[in-house]
Amino acid sequence: MLRSSTPLLVVTLGETLTQRVGIINLGVEGQMLGGACTGFAVAAATGDPLLGFAAGAGAGIVLSTVHAILCLVCGANQIGSGIAVWTLGLGLTSYFGRAFIGGKVTGLGALGGPTVADIPLLGPILNQLTPLAPAALILVAAAGLWLYRTSTGLNWRIVGESFETARAIGLAPLFVQLQGIIVGGLLSGFAGAILSVDYTQTWANDMTKGRGFVAVGLVIVARWNPFFVLPVVLIFGLSEAATLRLQAGGLTLSPYLIGCLPYVVCLLCVVVASMREDRIGGMPAELASVFGRRQRAR
Amino acid sequence: MNGRLAQASIYGIAGTALFLLLASGFLLAIGRPPFVTLVTMAGYAFGDGYSISESLVKATPILLCAFAVILPARLGLISVGGEGQLYLGALAGTAIVVGYPGGPMFALLPAMVALGAGGGAIWGGLAGVLRARFDVNETISTLLLNYIAVLLVNYAVYGAWKDPASLGWPATIQFPPAATVPSLLGTRVHLGFIVALIAAFVLHVVVTYTRWGLELRILAGNRKVGAMVGLRFARNTLIVMALGGALAGFAGICETAAIQGRLQSGLSVGYGLTGFLVAWLSGQHFLRAVPIAILVGGLIAAGDALQLYSKIPSASATVLQGLLFAAALAASGLAARREARRG
Repeated sequence: MLRSSTPLLVVTLGETLTQRVGIINLGVEGQMLGGACTGFAVAAATGDPLLGFAAGAGAGIVLSTVHAILCLVCGANQIGSGIAVWTLGLGLTSYFGRAFIGGKVTGLGALGGPTVADIPLLGPILNQLTPLAPAALILVAAAGLWLYRTSTGLNWRIVGESFETARAIGLAPLFVQLQGIIVGGLLSGFAGAILSVDYTQTWANDMTKGRGFVAVGLVIVARWNPFFVLPVVLIFGLSEAATLRLQAGGLTLSPYLIGCLPYVVCLLCVVVASMREDRIGGMPAELASVFGRRQRAR
Repeated sequence: MNGRLAQASIYGIAGTALFLLLASGFLLAIGRPPFVTLVTMAGYAFGDGYSISESLVKATPILLCAFAVILPARLGLISVGGEGQLYLGALAGTAIVVGYPGGPMFALLPAMVALGAGGGAIWGGLAGVLRARFDVNETISTLLLNYIAVLLVNYAVYGAWKDPASLGWPATIQFPPAATVPSLLGTRVHLGFIVALIAAFVLHVVVTYTRWGLELRILAGNRKVGAMVGLRFARNTLIVMALGGALAGFAGICETAAIQGRLQSGLSVGYGLTGFLVAWLSGQHFLRAVPIAILVGGLIAAGDALQLYSKIPSASATVLQGLLFAAALAASGLAARREARRG
């Protein structure tokens, strides 16, 4: 379960960081697709999954740059721009991805190996995991510590709360927002590559199936806090795994109905989080105008 | 006013030029001569009677899905739910055809269309209720509902509604003639296109000249002021989302009954997303959306033709749509920024 949740964990972390600087990027869906396709292509061509991850992250950065140019340079609407990036990612990957359909790559090896297989309880778990899952966990913790414990993290949070204040105290808020978008692009592309190179080890058209949008929803549930990203994604993954278990236990349901579950669960989580919005807060103030909760401040 | 108009058209021209530049870049990158390909595409889109009718066939669901974006936008909402509403409309409308395939036309056809619109309205209204009641962001909920709707249609056509005679192909029975939306003048263009044109006109008049249209404008501009003068944001949210959903649902059942003849998996090729693009290109304007939808419908029809004759995959049409959207956002964003600076 930790393994199947790793791509979602990484992309949700990336979107969290982007939204902390006051930018919402719906293009993560397209960036994940770009990362998945490019990562798969490079991993298949070179035989090296690590190069695949790097290429996937690069593709995510390139696509997120489009979002940055449209939002920051041209002043376009963030939601519209995100949808444009998604459309581009979807179109480009289904165009250039045709060559890779049906191909296979070998991902990273399992963590354990025969030496740990005999350890009770821990052995079987380690043998299912690749080094990516623990790496993602470390990444989440590092991002949380960085955001809340360092001065650059503080700068990011200031930009997300008030663009004007950030400008007044001498930060370069546009540059910080650019960094936020690029980091989100890097992580979403990386997440896409984890999905195609390490998890499914194949490429299929539109293979992310809305994971990027689910991530945008889960960011709200996690209250824009990197530390909460892990439990939220895990609870989400748990509900998915539970249904698969039910299925295996003899409950017969159409795979298409079961396929609805992640979206339904995500939607329900967002509903609960939104209901309690006013009491728990946590939304970066600059986002409020994009979400249409308050009147435009700028 | 004249100066502003001139300025707007300058940005329109700049946006178009930027799009042509980006499109040429993409075509060069895939090893096609840009100019020749673009001219060929224009020919495939509007070159003769058949091409034009195919472009209008594509434009119909796109236009209706654009309305499903424009109407909520008039209240300041950003809905991306056209695709899901289209699928659910197709699903709900098909239910009665699968249930009573032998029904007489005077009963079956209206019931099918009404259910289709109703299904779309429920899907749009669901996002509306979530927004009105729980303050759930409508962009995220509509995006998630899209995926659910597609899966529900798959559930039906791979499951209980699958026609045993279709030899494993996931589709329902062929619709009987009594459940076929009439087509125009022997082409594949169907009555849905006329309905869409009428809807464009009616909706434009309603949001521009009626009290309700004014209500939407006030609430979109400043919700607090609206609430002070007794306007209800929640109720209007529900109305615009459900009405928009009904139009997209109508598009879904028309596409199923008139074009494909049965409900099948993958019934829409991203019409909802394309409708979103058209709505933004039109500046959320019902009448302006009509010519833009026809142009973009032509782009998609040309993409299909290119795939058939020049072996360029139709995914290239999706890339071109993305480039068109990016160019338009860049141009309109810069225009708005310039406007704001002038004060």
